[in-house]
Order: sequence, then C-alpha cells, then structure tokens
Amino acid sequence: MHVLKVDGVKKRFRSDMSLARREVLHGVSLHAREGEVLGFLGPNGAGKTTTIKVILGLIRADSGRVTIFDHPAGDPRGMARVGFLPETPYFHPHLSLDEFLAFCGALSGMSRSDLPRRIAKVVDTVDLTAHRGKRLKTFSKGMLQRAGLAQAILHDPDLLILDEPFSGLDPVGRKMVRDVLVDLKKRGKTIFFSSHILPDMEALCDRICIIREGTIVKCIGLDELMRLGEGKVEVTARGWRARMLPGIEEYVESKRETGVDAFLVVRERRFVRRVIEHLYAEGAEILEVAGERSSLEDLFMREISRPGPRTGDKKNEDTLVFTGF
Amino acid sequence: MRTIVTVALNTFRESVREKILAVALLFGVILMGSSVFLSPLAVGAKQKIVMDVGLAAISIIGVLVAVFLGSTLVHKEVDRRAIYLVLTRPVSRTAYLVGKLAGVVAAVALVFAVMTAVLAGTVALGAGAVRPAVFASVYLSLLETMVICSVVMLFSTFTTPVLTSFFTLCIFAAGSMSGDLKVFASKFGGAGMKGVAGVFYCLLPNLRVFNIRHEAVHDLPFRATDILLATLYAAVYSAVIIFFACLIFRRREFK
Repeated sequence: MHVLKVDGVKKRFRSDMSLARREVLHGVSLHAREGEVLGFLGPNGAGKTTTIKVILGLIRADSGRVTIFDHPAGDPRGMARVGFLPETPYFHPHLSLDEFLAFCGALSGMSRSDLPRRIAKVVDTVDLTAHRGKRLKTFSKGMLQRAGLAQAILHDPDLLILDEPFSGLDPVGRKMVRDVLVDLKKRGKTIFFSSHILPDMEALCDRICIIREGTIVKCIGLDELMRLGEGKVEVTARGWRARMLPGIEEYVESKRETGVDAFLVVRERRFVRRVIEHLYAEGAEILEVAGERSSLEDLFMREISRPGPRTGDKKNEDTLVFTGF
Repeated sequence: MRTIVTVALNTFRESVREKILAVALLFGVILMGSSVFLSPLAVGAKQKIVMDVGLAAISIIGVLVAVFLGSTLVHKEVDRRAIYLVLTRPVSRTAYLVGKLAGVVAAVALVFAVMTAVLAGTVALGAGAVRPAVFASVYLSLLETMVICSVVMLFSTFTTPVLTSFFTLCIFAAGSMSGDLKVFASKFGGAGMKGVAGVFYCLLPNLRVFNIRHEAVHDLPFRATDILLATLYAAVYSAVIIFFACLIFRRREFK
C-alpha cells in the first residue's frame, strides 16, 4: 500500500518583481510504501522543501496529484496521520514546552486524558525533560529542533515528513534523532525525510530519491545502490609514485592520492593480481585490498554532475511564462 | 469546534502576554483617572465627565488593541512559519481563522472588563452609581470591536500589518460616520452621489448602532430591542466578513 503518492506535480512561482512565472517543479513523482523510510536528497534549491510543502497542502500544485493515505494533500483525514518537522522550525515563543506540546496534541485531536502521558514520553525521548517548563524563546537551535521532533511524533503518526531533521544538531542530538527514527522504523512507521547528511541517509533509508532542478533524477533502493559497485576492488598502496601508473592504467578505474598513499579502484576482480604484482615490482607496499561498494555520495555526485535534466533543454526556456496582468 | 477553541485559547494566551496589552490598559486607566481631575471644571456634571471620558476611553483603547493584535498575530505566524505546525495538522484554514478571531475578541473583552471595573470604581469613589446603561454601552462597544476585529482579520489574510492597521482604521472612521454620509448625500448630492453613498452605506459597517454613550452618560432611556438588533447586526456583519476572509485565506500559499 502506498502511504504517500506524488504524481507528476508541477509548480510555478512568480518572482517578486516580475510578472513571469518560473517553473520550479517539473512533474515530480515519487511514492512511499507502508513502513518504508524514503530519503529525499538534492542540492540546495533543487525543490525539496517545495515538494514537501505541496505534499502537506501548504502550497498548491499547478498540475499533478498528491495523496496521503488516499486523501488529497491537506485533507484533514490524511493530515491526522501525519507528523511534520519543518526545516529550521519556529514555534510560538510565548509558550513553555509543555504548553506547546499540549497545544499541538489538542490540534491533532488527542484526548485530554492521553496528553500528559504522551507529552512526558516524547519529552523524555528527545531528552528535554529538564526543560519542560521553560519558554520556547529561551531554547537554543538544537533544543528547538528536538522540540520540533517531539511535536512531530507526539500523536504517534503513521507517516512522518521531516525536512532536514538533523539540521542544527550536535553529534549527540544527531544520534538521538537517528535512534528515534530507527525505533519508528522498527514500529512500522513510514518516514519521508530530506537531508544533506549522506551517511545518516545511507544508514536509515530503504530507498532514496534524488531531485535536481525540480526533477526526480533517480529513485533507488539501498540494496540496489550496494550492488552498483560490486566487482570492484580498492587497493591501498604506500610509496606510490606517478611513474607506477603506466602498465596498470587500463585496469584502474579511479585513483585518489594522499601523500605517499594511493587508493586505486580496480575495475574487475580478475585484474587485482596483475595490479598488485606491478606495484610490488615498482617498489610500493600494499596496505589493504578491499571489496569496493558504491556509496550514496558517489551516486549523488554522479547524478548532480551530469548535464542537468532541464539545463540546456530548449523546453526549459519555455518555463518562463508570462501570465499577463 | 475543539480546534477553534484550542486556537482561540492559544491566541488569547499569546495576546495577554503581549506587552502592548498592558501598556494599552495602563494608558486607558490613566485616561480615566485624568477625568477625575478634569471633572471639577464642569460644575455639577462631575460624574457625567468621568463616565463620558471612561466610556470613550474603553471604546478607543478597545479598537486600538483589536487593530494591533489582529494585524500582527496572523502575520507573525505566517512570516515566522509557526503556522506550518498548525496547518499541517487536521485543522481547516477556516477553523484557524475563526479561532484567531475568537482569541483576539477574548483578549479585547478582558481589556474591556478591566477598564469597566476601573470606571465603575472611579464612579463609586465619587459617590455615584453605575447605571445599567453604562454596562449596555460597554457591551455595544465590545460588539463594535468584534466587527473591527473581523475587518482586521480580513485584511491580515493578504496584506502587511501596517496596511492592515491603516485600512482598518480608515474603515473604523468611515463606519463611525456612514450614517452622516448618507444623510449628506440625500440633502446635497445628485443621483450619482446618492447611489455611491448608498453603496458605501451598505458595504461599510454602520458603527453608529453600537454607540449609546450619550444615553448612558445623560441617563436617557434606550430600547432593549436596539441592543438586540445591534447584536444581530454585529454577528451577521462579522460572519460575512470572516466568510470572505476565509475564502482568501483558503487560496493563500505558504512559500
């Protein structure tokens, strides 16, 4: 079952000083299955937050369709099962943490009898128990991020939509958020989150969608990502000299150098022996030979360094549409 | 309904924690207190001066507080994106706006209650008695402020706090004189002028119906049916304005 479905969403914005409208989402499509953790990755300005706002009904799609639990975007029946953490959250500063969570819980339709118990639990989860009575205006950025996570999970939603959940957190806070997400994943919750922190994404996600210039350029499962690099082997050699390369050039896919060490990615396993023997013969010392697997960073860098899905495309020029007066 | 109450309570709490509310109250109290010192100038009309200044202060301070709170509260939540946390829950935009209006009206009602108590205390100190007409006048001023609050809400859904305040104060001034405008047009204007005046008379709130301060101060009789009709008028006018505010707010995008 698809908890979240985004089909062909397009969105244009009018820039402040002009009548022209620029298309920022060019038919974005993605879906999240029940119990899945879906990562949403893209460089700054790619359209991640705009997509999330369309999903939540904060802005309307010009075309395309969004459904959450089979209800249209923004429909209260779907929104009752959603928890959302905005990027750089700003909360009502006049409220204490307890008052704020009680306010959020009441808006989510939680019963008055359940609220105190749930508030105590989520405040403990995000490690803010000592700050329950303090006004939010006294909170640091990291504490606000934790409070934001608390309000997102307060009503035990089935779908969590998190926009940069690790933003503004120290390593301890990041680990806490990661642990919370792992726990939610174990409990079968669906999580859709955007982040720039690739190792966290790799550790948490079942699938990752990469957006670039308002277009989804890749959606890939983590298992598929791992398979991408299978067959390659990385050889770490000490005492590397540039003169050693001729003779093995055809077997080496890429190399990195750090001072006296070199990391050579050998294209196929069957060439490893020849590479090692050549390096020995040239006087290098072999420190490590390890199976290479593709990382999310490799994939991400590859996807965003390709010619843009819209850049140079003649159609792109037509996305500036004058709407008249 | 629970959503509206939740938003209203939060708005009320936010409003009463605003420093401007305390400042406005202090200013109102000082204004009423000053009438005690001015009243000896009007021989034999001491209580009338106190009541006249007091009722006018309640009305004006109430409107100013309503304009300030109404114009800033929604805008602040949108500008600082706190509204995301409300609208991404099972909360309709209509419920949000109605809750905001209810919260601001409740905060203004608190200001009215405090200032009325001060007025009653001042009158009692001068060995006078607060007549029921005074309370009726305060009640009508509260209704007037409710109408102004709904006008503020309408403007705050699509423009800035400064423009919201400006437009609302213009409507308050025009609404206070809308009856005069019609009379003026019928006496001195041509057919076109009468038509334009008629349109303005229908569109602008007729705030005259909420003013029985003269009757309250001079102990003149007033009709209970007028109070009832004014209540009905305030309810219908506010509902229509909020209906249009909701139409605009539902279309609004939060970039």
